Amino acid sequence: MSTLLILVALFALLLLRVPVAFALGGLGLFLLIAGGFSPLMAPQAILSTLDGFILLAVPLFLLMSNVLLKGGVGKDLFAAVHAWVGHWPGGLAVATILSCAIFAAISGSSVATAATIGTVAIPEMIQRGYERKFVYGLLAAGGTLGILIPPSIPMIVYGFVTEQSVIALFLAGVGPGLLLVVLFIIFAMVYARWFGGYSPEPASSWSQRKDASIRALPSILLAAIVIGSIYTGAATPTEAAAIGFAAALIITAVILRTLTWKGFWDAAFEAMATTVAILLIIAGAKVFGKAITLYRIPQDISVFIGQAIDGPFTFVLVVSVVLLVMGLVFEALSMVLIMTPVLLPAAMAMGFDPIWFGVYMVILVECALITPPVGLNLYVIQSVARASLSEVSKGVLPFLVIMLLSVLLLYVWPDLALYIPFKL
Amino acid sequence: MDIFQRIVTALAWVAAALFVIAGGMLSYEVVARHFFVAPTIWAAELSQLTLIWGTLLGMPWLLQARRHIAVDALVELLSDGYRRLTEALAMVVIAALSAMITWKGWSIFFDSFERGRTTGSMLDLPTWVSELAIPVGFGLLFLQSLIEIRRALTGERLATPSHGAHE
Repeated sequence: MSTLLILVALFALLLLRVPVAFALGGLGLFLLIAGGFSPLMAPQAILSTLDGFILLAVPLFLLMSNVLLKGGVGKDLFAAVHAWVGHWPGGLAVATILSCAIFAAISGSSVATAATIGTVAIPEMIQRGYERKFVYGLLAAGGTLGILIPPSIPMIVYGFVTEQSVIALFLAGVGPGLLLVVLFIIFAMVYARWFGGYSPEPASSWSQRKDASIRALPSILLAAIVIGSIYTGAATPTEAAAIGFAAALIITAVILRTLTWKGFWDAAFEAMATTVAILLIIAGAKVFGKAITLYRIPQDISVFIGQAIDGPFTFVLVVSVVLLVMGLVFEALSMVLIMTPVLLPAAMAMGFDPIWFGVYMVILVECALITPPVGLNLYVIQSVARASLSEVSKGVLPFLVIMLLSVLLLYVWPDLALYIPFKL
Repeated sequence: MDIFQRIVTALAWVAAALFVIAGGMLSYEVVARHFFVAPTIWAAELSQLTLIWGTLLGMPWLLQARRHIAVDALVELLSDGYRRLTEALAMVVIAALSAMITWKGWSIFFDSFERGRTTGSMLDLPTWVSELAIPVGFGLLFLQSLIEIRRALTGERLATPSHGAHE
């Protein structure tokens, strides 16, 4: 009973437009006081959240991607990939997906990925005669690769709240990330070949390919440094983010000379605003999580799910539907933070690996990012392309189906995620 | 009022600068450790302080600029009058929460300050250096939420949903 009441109170606060961080923190604080627990736990929970070294990676990864965005790195990256695959059927679309994937390996944010590549790719694809709906859907969905291919801010957050290894999560994202890239490319080629209306392009010459690749090389090296230093253990994810930020500054300000002082401070201020918003939600979720654990709510839900649901497949089906529905109106990260403490105990009781469950959550969060009416990637594409929300939303549909297909594959074949971190 | 808003904006820029500084300190640490085998004892701890202070100093500006993440779906359907009312209610919730956290956060800080507690790490900083950020940040948030209540009731500004660049 109290479980239902608390959930109703939480959703009421959220729908009143109390910011997510304060709705979680405020309700948590209220529950602590009402239950006779010490309210000192609230400021302590906030302090212990902000004292987490892994969370320092959040502002640093954001600084890195924002600097690269302001430095116009997307253009060079796209041009290089385009020079190699432009003459394929649907070549521009393939180049767009590959550019998203490469930028995703530098940046931990899907919004930054969609914005960086979208700014360059959208005008070019439309000029080449691709259907608008398809272009918008492609970019919105391609951008979500940013949080599945490491580094990934939602994975850092998931690892922090569940006390799982962020490095294992990063590595577990590689397999499903590459699968999605391949599925997106196949779809784009088939679509362009049979329904397309695009005009084919001649292959670029070898010297064109060489020139474009050299200009994009620093960014690709940057991705290699960031992932390599985490993978080999030379640096923690937080330190890798710091080096990545420093390297991004060197690339854009010294080598390419595209970053202005104004661009730099804009990047820093935007990174600050996003960081503060994200970290406060984590802190609020920590207060809320502490309170509901004292009320034994996750345990109750876990027992309830164990009795009501027969078997792991039904569990995944039900959870996926719940997360998809929530994803219609919820912003992605809040969804992870509200649902993980509630669902993970039940998932683990069902025999799911916590790392696998993290990757699964991230793919569903990607769906939330592109489902209307609330989906941040839709807004990004809408503003980059000056298109209507309904046009972007329609284009997203086939990609949503592909992403759900990948969830099914991940369920049938868990090693898709778990092979690289645990069996390689 | 105006001076307060300017202070809040200035603190947001301080927060932005703190995160940039953290990036610098940690890059220095990695370079020093790998190339000169001279790890620092201060980089990790001081950059953690920038995260604590930066987040809490940036918080009031985000409220003023409506950059905190919120669910707009229902409020967008309401008429202007109801929208102002829900806006004011939401700000009352924030005011109550921030008043309580400021108070309790202050007792944590004051207790450590009086007893001279330290972190016990290599730098062995007093723990109040980080704990003070809670009453300062939430105290400012409390004042900002009072201003926002007045703004909502007088209709000086409506909650215009901003779709900022979050994850």
